[in-house]
Amino acid sequence: MKKILTGSLLALLLLITTACGNQSSAEGGEIFEYGGQKNTDPKIMGQIVKLLVEDQTIHEVNITEDIPASPQVMGAIDRGEFDFATLYSGEVYNNHFDEDQVTYSTDPEKTLNQAQALFGEKYDMKWYDSIGFSNQYSIAIKRDFAEENNVETMSDLGDYANDLTLGTDNSWIERANDGYEGYQDTYGYSFGDARGMDVALMYEGIASGDLDVVTAYTVDPQIVEYDLKILEDDQKFFPPYDASLVARNEVIDEYPEIAEILDSIVGMITTEEMTELMYEVDIKKRSIEEVAREFLEEKGLL
Amino acid sequence: MELITDYIAFWQDKYDSILTYTYEHLVISFVVILLSIIVTVPLAIYMTKMKNEKIKNLIFNIANVFQTIPTVALLAIMIPLLGIGFIPSITALFLYALLPLLRNTYTGIKSIDPSIVEAAKGMGFSTFGRLFKIELPAALPYVMSGIRVTTVYIISWTTLAALIGGGGLGDLVLAGIGYNDKHMIFTGTILAIVIALILDLIFGKFEKKFSKA
Amino acid sequence: MNFITELGQYMIENSSELFALTVEHIAMVAYGIFFALLVGIPLGIIAAKYEKLAPIIISITSILQLVPSLAMLAILMLYFGLGFQTMVIGLFLYSLMPIVRNTYVGIKEVDDSIIEAGKGSGMTAFQLLTKLQFPLSIPFLMAGLRVASVIAIAVACIGPYIGAEGLGKEIISGISLQSDVKIYAGAIPATIIAIIADVALGKVEKKTKQRMA
Repeated sequence: MKKILTGSLLALLLLITTACGNQSSAEGGEIFEYGGQKNTDPKIMGQIVKLLVEDQTIHEVNITEDIPASPQVMGAIDRGEFDFATLYSGEVYNNHFDEDQVTYSTDPEKTLNQAQALFGEKYDMKWYDSIGFSNQYSIAIKRDFAEENNVETMSDLGDYANDLTLGTDNSWIERANDGYEGYQDTYGYSFGDARGMDVALMYEGIASGDLDVVTAYTVDPQIVEYDLKILEDDQKFFPPYDASLVARNEVIDEYPEIAEILDSIVGMITTEEMTELMYEVDIKKRSIEEVAREFLEEKGLL
Repeated sequence: MELITDYIAFWQDKYDSILTYTYEHLVISFVVILLSIIVTVPLAIYMTKMKNEKIKNLIFNIANVFQTIPTVALLAIMIPLLGIGFIPSITALFLYALLPLLRNTYTGIKSIDPSIVEAAKGMGFSTFGRLFKIELPAALPYVMSGIRVTTVYIISWTTLAALIGGGGLGDLVLAGIGYNDKHMIFTGTILAIVIALILDLIFGKFEKKFSKA
Repeated sequence: MNFITELGQYMIENSSELFALTVEHIAMVAYGIFFALLVGIPLGIIAAKYEKLAPIIISITSILQLVPSLAMLAILMLYFGLGFQTMVIGLFLYSLMPIVRNTYVGIKEVDDSIIEAGKGSGMTAFQLLTKLQFPLSIPFLMAGLRVASVIAIAVACIGPYIGAEGLGKEIISGISLQSDVKIYAGAIPATIIAIIADVALGKVEKKTKQRMA
């Protein structure tokens, strides 16, 4: 028995060590690493980068998905574990820099400029201009509730907030600038209850009636699917989260063909288009690769 | 030094919400533990009187399967069935607590010397009298040690409830992960450990008391 | 019914990928446990030989096991980066406690009269350990191994959060893509592995016990 156990363990060890050897792509190029967070849009962007790179160059791209959040992706870029990722401009306000380095603003351009300069230097990477879609926090409620009570703006919601349960991701409640505390200060009301959870579940919660209000991300297709209404941010509280690709400088300096592809993705996808792509994946349950390929073919890029 | 002052500032800033998370964590854990005691202890007693070995094994096997389902998976499976929030969190954790409690109570009562039971029968104790006067007190140390082990695990697992909107210290850990704040991650972790250790200590004292008695 | 056919279809269509994930899952667990045995058995022996060190060793390994899994991984990721090896380190830390504790208890449980007999026949302390105490403690060690394996298989399911694959990949992406089919496609094989490990190691445990008797 013992022999079998040690034998199979050794076999396993061997299997892994051989599998982890230094690799190069089938055509003799490099294998680059793309890291994606838990949400669907960076996963789609990963496939788009992968398809374009593998179509136009001899290199390959390997995608790692479901990293909990952007800070962990940045850490991995810092350690050289990821070469590319999709990040959001508003991330620059999230506790990465001292208060004297960064000036809080809800202006998209100021935010992007700061993200490009500060993160670019901190992690030795290039932060591209926006891909064209924005995935910022917003407050969403059920459309019929909004129409019944004539709620158009976030200020309007104040009259009902006491009886409503808010569902949000785990960090929004604790965020300093653009979190719940700041929201209460700006809009002058708080919700009856506020619960943190995995983002995907937040939508199931509002669909099933467990929740009344969610901090939806503007690009999410569930807003369409569950007939939610995004309220107007009349006090300009939420900072922009414009999506950009990022790449390690080392990689784009050495491989100009990669830099060219990443450049071409700037301005490629609008928020509406990304929502449609995500609808195919999240709601229709189609594979991310298939959806990304179809999109690129339609645009004549593949 | 700066680390410490930073950390103190963090507590001053957040102690309100830290207390809330701790409170939620305790509520979830205690409800789970109470529920599982209410269900398991009578079940285990009933099982010691059961003649049908097959059904007995079946119950043990079912409880065992629940314990082998990965925690994340069990929580995820709960969502389509029970939605999000407090109830599915409690349910999932309750299923985990079943086996250790069931096993310990069962072994506890089974381990009582049959001669004592026989003697009690001879003295004219009824079944219930025997149960409450002799068998349960004798099994108590086992039950307590089951409760102790289970409690410690439940405290640790409750952090995962934050994934499905159950609240608790997991919220703080996950917020730290999402918001790039190590203070939050460490605070959530350390508080969960401290609570588990304190409860372990308290239950350990009880256990000793009962086993001496 | 519809859901079950859908799930079956998905699992058949993706069987080769699911198989690869299963292999990786088992590999992570095997590595973690392997290192835990490598470190845990000597620690357990040290604890048994030097009574003064025992509480320290046992409490440190126990505390490690109380660290909520998500927090443990988030912290390890800060120092060891993403991927397979970080997960192995995490699983190693979680598996230590049952192995150390059971080795310790096993050696302590060896009957004093046996030790005396060994001493009487002129065995050195080292011979006592390798010829008598350790072999006799193996059934306990096997019980610890069994517990450690089941826990490690469950913890490995949150691997994707730190860029390690394994069956958690299906579960976690199932949660974020709201696909129940994916959740079950990951959870079912993970549970089956855990049950197989539990039953198989349970059998081994029984066998070693019988051999001792």
